[in-house]
Amino acid sequence: MTASLTRRRIRIINQICWTLALCIVAIPFVFPFLWMVSSGFKSAAEIFGSPSLVPREWQWQNFIDVFKHQPFARQYLNSLYIAVTVTALTLLVSSLAGYALARMRFAGAALVALFLVSALMVPEEVTIIPNFFMMRWAGLVDTHWPLILLPTFGPQGIMATFLMRQYFLALPKELEDAGKMDGLSRLGVWWSIALPMSRPALAAVAIITFLNSWNLFLEPLIFVSSLDKFTLPLALSNFTDPYGMPLWHLQLAATSLAVIPILVVYIIAQRQIIESFALSGVKG
Amino acid sequence: MKTTMKRMTTTVLALGMMSGSLGAAELRFTIWTGNEAHLKMLNGFAESFKAKHPDVTVKYETIPPGDYTQKLTFQLAGGNAPDAGWLMEDAAPTFAAAGVLDNLAPALNKAQGYDFADFSKPALGLWTAGDKVYGVPFSTSPFVIFYNKDLFDKAGLEDPNALAAKGQWNMAKFQEVSKKLKDATGKWGFEFKDGQGYDTRIMHALMPPIRAAGGDVWANKQCGFDKPEAVAAVKQLHDMVFKDKSIVPPGEQGDYFSGGSAMTINQISRASLMPKAGFKWGIAPLPTGAGGESPVIGQAGIVVFSAGKQKELAAEFVAHMTTKDNVAAAAQFFPPARKSVLDSDAFTKSNNLIPPEQMKVVADAISKGKVLPAHEKSPQILAAMKPRVDALWRANADVEASLKAVCTAIQPLL
Amino acid sequence: MAGALPIRDTARREDAPWLTLKMREAMEAWLFISPTLAGFLIFFVGPLIAVVWYSLTEWNLLTQQATFVGLDNYSDALFRNPDFWHVIRNSVIFAIGLVPLNMALALSLALALSGRFAGVVIFRTVFFAPVVTSAVAWAIVWKFLLQGEAGFINQMLASIGIDGPNWLREPNWAMAAVIVTRVIKMVGLNMILYIAALQAIPRDYAAAARLEGASGWQIFRWIIWPLLGPTTLVIMVITTIGSFKVFDHIYQMTGGGPENGTLVLAFYIYQQGFQFFDVGYASALAMIMFVVVMMLTIFQLVLRRRDT
Repeated sequence: MTASLTRRRIRIINQICWTLALCIVAIPFVFPFLWMVSSGFKSAAEIFGSPSLVPREWQWQNFIDVFKHQPFARQYLNSLYIAVTVTALTLLVSSLAGYALARMRFAGAALVALFLVSALMVPEEVTIIPNFFMMRWAGLVDTHWPLILLPTFGPQGIMATFLMRQYFLALPKELEDAGKMDGLSRLGVWWSIALPMSRPALAAVAIITFLNSWNLFLEPLIFVSSLDKFTLPLALSNFTDPYGMPLWHLQLAATSLAVIPILVVYIIAQRQIIESFALSGVKG
Repeated sequence: MKTTMKRMTTTVLALGMMSGSLGAAELRFTIWTGNEAHLKMLNGFAESFKAKHPDVTVKYETIPPGDYTQKLTFQLAGGNAPDAGWLMEDAAPTFAAAGVLDNLAPALNKAQGYDFADFSKPALGLWTAGDKVYGVPFSTSPFVIFYNKDLFDKAGLEDPNALAAKGQWNMAKFQEVSKKLKDATGKWGFEFKDGQGYDTRIMHALMPPIRAAGGDVWANKQCGFDKPEAVAAVKQLHDMVFKDKSIVPPGEQGDYFSGGSAMTINQISRASLMPKAGFKWGIAPLPTGAGGESPVIGQAGIVVFSAGKQKELAAEFVAHMTTKDNVAAAAQFFPPARKSVLDSDAFTKSNNLIPPEQMKVVADAISKGKVLPAHEKSPQILAAMKPRVDALWRANADVEASLKAVCTAIQPLL
Repeated sequence: MAGALPIRDTARREDAPWLTLKMREAMEAWLFISPTLAGFLIFFVGPLIAVVWYSLTEWNLLTQQATFVGLDNYSDALFRNPDFWHVIRNSVIFAIGLVPLNMALALSLALALSGRFAGVVIFRTVFFAPVVTSAVAWAIVWKFLLQGEAGFINQMLASIGIDGPNWLREPNWAMAAVIVTRVIKMVGLNMILYIAALQAIPRDYAAAARLEGASGWQIFRWIIWPLLGPTTLVIMVITTIGSFKVFDHIYQMTGGGPENGTLVLAFYIYQQGFQFFDVGYASALAMIMFVVVMMLTIFQLVLRRRDT
């Protein structure tokens, strides 16, 4: 009896130690968020003054000033609608292409796949300069078009295509064949049979694409120069006074506003989100 | 019959062409301020411009100052050029050399009662090249020493203005006073401009002492950092930071405006921050040195972009913005480059935060001061300088060797 | 449905007898793929060719003047400009610092969190949270925490008697800071991939080994690690390529400094092209980056071939 009791005790102690260790490791993962929110409530002077997490006075004013400093609400909306558009477009384009690569036989399929793969390895910095000139020629600089088109058709979009292809390949063919026999066109099969069956992959693509677009920085930096067209990442680095010095209290308050909704959505849907990333990685 | 028809057609066509040029136009003007008071004044200029051009509206576009030049470049390169706008002094030579700025001389000379000669010659240095005028400076703001009178009183020291009146306000005194302030009050003696002397305001930190010592950062395509005067000046600063510990060192906070330092160097526009600061203060000229007095001015100008579609209209507007009256009106925020305005009583009384005697310091500096050195390759020069200057701001750095390295790095670019 | 295939291939419609089913299918496929393909050609292939062309010119972004200079930009970078090799060195140090740290941490966390116990979900959520945060936001907060004396980290260190360095103003510490903060941000991603892979390993293997008296370490070394091979390779490739692409993190935290200590290739390209307006040189750098990333990828794939 005593032997198993001790073993149990050892196991419990073991578990506590492990949990403790994990908690310690987790500190640098969690602390920045706490600090960010707490600083958002501090005045500019207090931010550097006291290292405490709890502000001396809760400066709710900061959060109002954030919106007065620049058209922050507009910028928030920009990021939002761009991300939604890119996600919708990417879902459409990548599921079409993924389906074709998975299910249709045509000359050159393998070659196309190979070419597309090569695009995955190229960083945006390599092609951004010619893309800039192209957008200029099309008169699309300082609009949101580059921020919508480049992610949809760039490496992220191609990654999405392959993700969809992998998933379609793994689907059982019978339902699709049945559909074809019932007289559905290819498009019809794709729309009414293949797509509904591939919800997990669609969710994965949607989540990854949305996050990517939401956090995009280089492209907005280069393409967008008017304040009211900024996206969130650009806006966050612009909380400066007229002389270019950062207004930390505003910057951190705004950062909190930008990050918290994402965190909330993430916590609610964390299972799906994490599964999507796992799905994309394991298959890819 | 035929001739009447012909005449009618020509008249109609002529009217059509004229009405085209009288049609509604919108000028896009980029600025880096979002300040309500500034905008009110700028919009006032736009309104008064309508008197001559009823169909023209001016739209001001604010681009944040941190990336202003960068974003402006993207606009120009991206085919989205504004018609006119503000330009920072360090970008002026680059942009002028690149040919993206329009020559304003014709429009300025055409404007009635403009009196271009009224602008002080040194102030125009960066903005003219021979006969061509690439920009009109709208803010010519000298660097002055802001001091915290309360801290000086606490340390039992005479304030810089009193010292300057006696002719004793020089770099040696500056070092002595700073140390005494630090020892007596525990607050830093001096803070570099905006606390950025080691990051984004390297030039503003190094240049005034170097000039006071009689040198310059570069002149005639020769690097001036490794010359004896410059080395001596920078060595003094280095001692103040690391030996005396009277200047705020890298990574530390010592904000003058919240009472962390007794003195700082800045432009008078910052005076607007003083009422909130809550201590007695004043402004004084820069300390003199072996080279005598050497006021330093920072500038910003208004330019018209060659890629804009309404160059003549824009140039006219610029002329309108910088007439004697409008410059006088702007003087409450932006020190003028026009001699007539500088000399006027109105100017010395215009700033309700600074007493007239101290405004004289400002006026003096503007007429005698030299602008920051600029170069068409200034972004590259600054980028090449920065790592070597970073190396010099360490406790045991060999100042002379670091400065030599700076020159080696930037000489090819000059 | 034997025999269905040949009939499908040669069946024809009455109204368009020249169109075989096979051709129809091919056309439909091309149609499905056309948006992706069009985008690929317009936004990737075209620009790639253009970059090669630009790299052979000296082109000022501001003046739009371009002159053909042949391979000058390349020889400038490789032979004449000392900054270039400094940048490469920084990029390599960054990658070498980041990849092993990231993967080791990811694997450790995954091993700890792949099982089932109270709170495992909370921990997974916590470690993954920085991944979904904007890189700019993350960098802003850390830049703030790592300030000299007044920064939170140094104040904490001071309270236990350690005099923390001025993290972001000393080149070596800045590089370390940038690497570590980036790892913290991204490790959650690799952790999840490892967890998924670990959970795919049948539990009987480990159970059987334990019955035979194998220790935890032995189980890991001889059963788990080999089975993780493919995942490890994918993670290594992705993380390495990713480390070369890092831009926003460094832009926000250090702007390439101090003393150009964190100037990595992605930032250098941006600096040369968009801050110094030297589009030709920046394009040559971009080509070099492309080649480097390609080579690294191929190298890692070859390693896999040799393993299997």
